[in-house]
Amino acid sequence: MSWFRRHRSATAYLLLAPGILYLIVFYLYPTVQMFLVSLWTGNVQDGYALTFNFGIYPEALAQYNEHFIRSLIYGGAATVLTFLIGFPLAYFIAFQGGRYKSLLLFLVIAPFFTSFLLRTISWKIIFSDNGILFGPIRDAGLLPPEFRVLATPAAVVAGITYNFLPFMTLPLYVALEKIPPNLLEAAEDLYAGRWQRLRRITLPLALPGVFAGSLLTFIPAVGDFINAELLGNPQSQMIGNVIQARFLRVSDFPTGAALSFILMAAIIVGVLVYARVVGTEELTGGGAL
Amino acid sequence: MEHGQDLIQRAAGPMTRRRMLQAMAASGIGAFLAACGTAATRSPSPSAAGSAGATAAPSARPSVGASATPGATATGAPSPADTPSPEPSAEPSAAPTRPAVTGGFRWANWVGYIDKEGGNRFPTLERFTSETGISVEYNNGAVNDNESFYTADLEGPLGAGQPTGWDLVVLTDWMIQRLVARGWLETIDASWMTNYPQNLKEEYRNRAWDPDNTFCAPWQSGMTGLGFDRAITGDLDSIEAFWDPQWAGRMTYLTEMRDTVGLSALRLGFDPATLTQEQFDQALAEVKRAVDEGFTRQLTGNSYVEEMDFGNVVLAMAWSGDVQGLLVPDQEKGVQDFQWVLPKEGGMLWTDNMAIPKGAPNKTQVELWIDFYYQPDVAAVVEAWVNYVCPVAGADAEMLALDPDLAQNVYIFPTPDMTARLRDFISTDLETAQRWEEAFADAIGL
Repeated sequence: MSWFRRHRSATAYLLLAPGILYLIVFYLYPTVQMFLVSLWTGNVQDGYALTFNFGIYPEALAQYNEHFIRSLIYGGAATVLTFLIGFPLAYFIAFQGGRYKSLLLFLVIAPFFTSFLLRTISWKIIFSDNGILFGPIRDAGLLPPEFRVLATPAAVVAGITYNFLPFMTLPLYVALEKIPPNLLEAAEDLYAGRWQRLRRITLPLALPGVFAGSLLTFIPAVGDFINAELLGNPQSQMIGNVIQARFLRVSDFPTGAALSFILMAAIIVGVLVYARVVGTEELTGGGAL
Repeated sequence: MEHGQDLIQRAAGPMTRRRMLQAMAASGIGAFLAACGTAATRSPSPSAAGSAGATAAPSARPSVGASATPGATATGAPSPADTPSPEPSAEPSAAPTRPAVTGGFRWANWVGYIDKEGGNRFPTLERFTSETGISVEYNNGAVNDNESFYTADLEGPLGAGQPTGWDLVVLTDWMIQRLVARGWLETIDASWMTNYPQNLKEEYRNRAWDPDNTFCAPWQSGMTGLGFDRAITGDLDSIEAFWDPQWAGRMTYLTEMRDTVGLSALRLGFDPATLTQEQFDQALAEVKRAVDEGFTRQLTGNSYVEEMDFGNVVLAMAWSGDVQGLLVPDQEKGVQDFQWVLPKEGGMLWTDNMAIPKGAPNKTQVELWIDFYYQPDVAAVVEAWVNYVCPVAGADAEMLALDPDLAQNVYIFPTPDMTARLRDFISTDLETAQRWEEAFADAIGL
């Protein structure tokens, strides 16, 4: 009998060890470090020292609550939009894709072959005030002179939606693809209409995909700063922009770190509430079957 | 993005490049280098500095300037790290002579800040290499922003007393002040130099924070003023235009606090060079009002150039060289007419300086470069390409021979009348500077 047989639990830990070690070194350690940075006080001239200044948390939250709320709204709006666009897309690929499924899925991911930054900058070209899209409409006199899409909150939300669409579409596709066709056939046999089938069979079974997709979209979307920086205006800057500015512009590391932790905490609480509402049983797929 | 690429290259660069050169020397396949797309021209080993180490070089030299990845190394050189450069054994003494050195140096500069030809060849650097035998590993765009370069490349190693990996960095006045205050710069030994001490223009001497010009040598200066599309705005000559509701939503301010607040201060009749706290507060309040009322479409770095090019922005707080060099009116659109004007109230003057971070292993090579650049004919060639204000006296005369039109160019050689209207932003202590940056960030929605 081999050593591994006799020490089954030890084997499990051995297998976990590389992953755990990796997380300790590259996640846990920097996180603790960053938490300590948030408790510094000082300035660039005299340097910073660890003074366990927990007061920075309420201060930072009070000063930037507007940015937090804005980020949650933009992130939430983008998540809803990616769902509204992504669900029909995933539905079509899963049920009507036929032999083109792989190709269609590839097309969904294709934008990722271009850099995030370039994709966003290309939006500036497309939606330019006098660009290929709005130029002709404007020339035809159909747009008010002050109309613009760039440098508005709408552009920021649209940019986030575009950039994170695959994160929503792919989990939805995986969930929809798994639905056994005979369930839908059975529903049809029992005189369920199209709408009823969608609402009572497809959507509940796709819920794990909705859950995964919305988390994959919402979490990075709330912390995003590229879209607000390139497509937004001073009134539509998100918390990610503030954190970036605190670190790179003002060299105010404690506030930047504190804001990061507040954001993290807000997202964790949000996700827990969301998980409770959506329900954990559906997440495993067990409840619906 | 470019910066990230650079980090990766820096991590993997030197060894790989050296191995590649060795492999090439062995196999003699010059194209191998080009195919791998990393390094470009390998400089011939310095003949003056001794033949040792010159064995592999000639065969390793690709015949054409091999293309390199954007923003990557230009003049591929044996990295300073793996070529121990013997320091000049005899320090220049009574009769200072040019120190003899081998090996190259690594230079972090802003994008578009030295004359460039074709894909990634830098003629002035090539000339320097062929005259001195010193190769330059030039990183075009390693510096994109003072503050982020400081955070990413300087603060960590210098704070720990380590070399940064750069021998030469180009940074703006106020950042140099911070580095001087920290004691993080090597001093430039000009005792043997024949060009730098003589040809540095008068206005760059006796700067409060570097009175003897020993911590840094000016590289380029620029002016901040009115950039506009005359076809739409008509002629403009006043800072007042930035607060004109007529251009609301179609103008940009700069994210550089010293430029935006400086112009606001000039508009209110304050001198940015002697700005008090109250004056700063008033000038900033005006910036905040413009932001809150939606006058400013965005606050930008260099990207106002694209915005103007696309036609989204018709009036921008702009840097002289950009409008001059980068904003070429699009003939297809036909109607754009980009202008840069120094406002009648005055404009901001800033200087980017060459400095040597503490502990840089190839300090002497950098000093040789600095003295080389301060030859008027060399500076003229650089200016003809970058279009910024030249700190080298006599370069205008050289320019006359090179390109008479450029010699008259007030963006490169401002008239005395313009010079009189240019202002530095006050050099405060670091604590005040940080407080002002913070207040500015708040005002612009960050």
